[in-house]
Amino acid sequence: MTASATRQIAWVYDLNKCIGCQTCSVACKVLWTREEGEKHEWWCSVNTMPGLGTPKGWEEMGGGIDPKTGKPRAGHQPTRGEFGGGFDYNYYEVFYGGTAGKAHLEPQAPREGRWAMNWDEDQGAGEWPNSYFFYMPRICNHCTNPVCLEACPTGALAKRDDGLVLRDEDVCMGDRFCMEACPYKKIYFNYERRVAQHCIGCFPRIEAGVAPACVRQCPGRAVFIGYIDEEGSAVNNLVKKWKIALPLHAEAGTGPNVFYVPPLSPHRLNDDFSIDYKTPRIPPEYLESLFGPEVHTALATLSSEMEKVRGGGTSEMLKTLIAYKWQELLGPFTVDPADIVPTV
Amino acid sequence: MKVATVNAGADLADPASQAWSGVTAEAVALAPVPLAAQPTEYIREAWANRAYGKTAEARVAAATDGKKLYVRVEWADDAAPNAEFQDAVGAVLGDGPLDTLGSAASPVTLWYWENGRGALNLVSKGPGVVTKGDASAVGGTGANSGGKWAVVVSGPASASKGKLGVAVWNGSNEERAGLAAVSRNWLSLE
Ligand code: SF4
Ligand code: SF4
Repeated sequence: MTASATRQIAWVYDLNKCIGCQTCSVACKVLWTREEGEKHEWWCSVNTMPGLGTPKGWEEMGGGIDPKTGKPRAGHQPTRGEFGGGFDYNYYEVFYGGTAGKAHLEPQAPREGRWAMNWDEDQGAGEWPNSYFFYMPRICNHCTNPVCLEACPTGALAKRDDGLVLRDEDVCMGDRFCMEACPYKKIYFNYERRVAQHCIGCFPRIEAGVAPACVRQCPGRAVFIGYIDEEGSAVNNLVKKWKIALPLHAEAGTGPNVFYVPPLSPHRLNDDFSIDYKTPRIPPEYLESLFGPEVHTALATLSSEMEKVRGGGTSEMLKTLIAYKWQELLGPFTVDPADIVPTV
Repeated sequence: MKVATVNAGADLADPASQAWSGVTAEAVALAPVPLAAQPTEYIREAWANRAYGKTAEARVAAATDGKKLYVRVEWADDAAPNAEFQDAVGAVLGDGPLDTLGSAASPVTLWYWENGRGALNLVSKGPGVVTKGDASAVGGTGANSGGKWAVVVSGPASASKGKLGVAVWNGSNEERAGLAAVSRNWLSLE
């Protein structure tokens, strides 16, 4: 069981480009979680922020590493109800039941306590006309210090040489200490097969040179992948060189390898509807609670690059973020999956 | 502990079967697997101030029909079931350290039964440090009535001459892996 890798695959999600379309989450679902016991599993989830998220209230569930002691911190194992979802719907009744105008599509689960991935989609925060929200896709962070791996008594988890954190489901006993320890709560439990499951980084695609489904399918051109250690790669530039892509809840201490370009927002409106040019609508302290104090510099850098371009200048950074050629998002994983000849 | 020999055809697999009425059960004292022996720092930290292995006693009986060894374990558990974790029991066989459910150098065998999951054949090299073996070699049936579990686990009769321990997991207390109550002493089967 190795917990260190020589290379590290990393993702960058540009939250200024994510349109919350859920193509990434559905692409992942269609590819990986359509089998027994996987109905409620969304290895890639996209939630409106601020919000309680997936699983419900995950940011308050503990886990990760205690910065004072350097030891793993106790965490809560998200329950089936906190993940929610996996509903059956009354399709038959609505489409063939002769109930036109009366029945409508509805999850077949008690109304009380219903929850699912992105259940609080339309909520956001703030008061009109200064309400605000943004979308945040989340996958396993394939952490540099994967506490999930350390917590597992059976040795079911391993960090590969390319940095992906993978689970051997034949070894997993379903003890779920990984789910408690993971501060991102990105591990699901399959109640039918009694094993825990999480994002596999589309490793069979990676091995064939194909980008993961969440990256390749994104119509917003919002997701970058590549080796963080490779100088000149988009992910290295965004994270290390320009420092405009930041980890989520870095204070959890696991060294996540999914990074986010934080969202800029429109200016606030004053009571008389004049524009308050000094104050962004998304409170900077909220973004700081997610991405750390570096978020302010990152946002300032983005703004000044945009100013530069508006003034007729050019910006490598903005060119990268815009991704005029979408293949630039894919790092070294540019193979078209249609060109792969199945071997089985 | 005497392994009762029962006619082939007796339904020893069923804990409620009449076949068990003539088999003497022994009261066995259990103790929690030591915290310090828990295999990962996460488990040791998370359970440092949480009691586990609370089941203090089990009644154990053993019988064979010549083909298989059957171990019947009965213990009191009237806690409301937990939606996430299930009650479970294991017959521990072998020669390793019992209090830690084996060690890397001296693994033990666990005929493990979990409510809702059935029987698993595990090799245990420490608390929760298990690998799955051929499950078809083992069996298990259990029922809870009147606040009491009665479970029979079974495996090859070749185990009838060795040493036996039992381990109990209380699902309502989120006990799983090495968070178990284990019999304090080996029973010698004869
Ligand atoms: S596919 Fe792209 S734009 Fe759509 S939700 Fe996912 S990251 Fe956002
Ligand atoms: S995000 Fe959670 S599951 Fe993924 S590597 Fe990090 S700790 Fe493990």
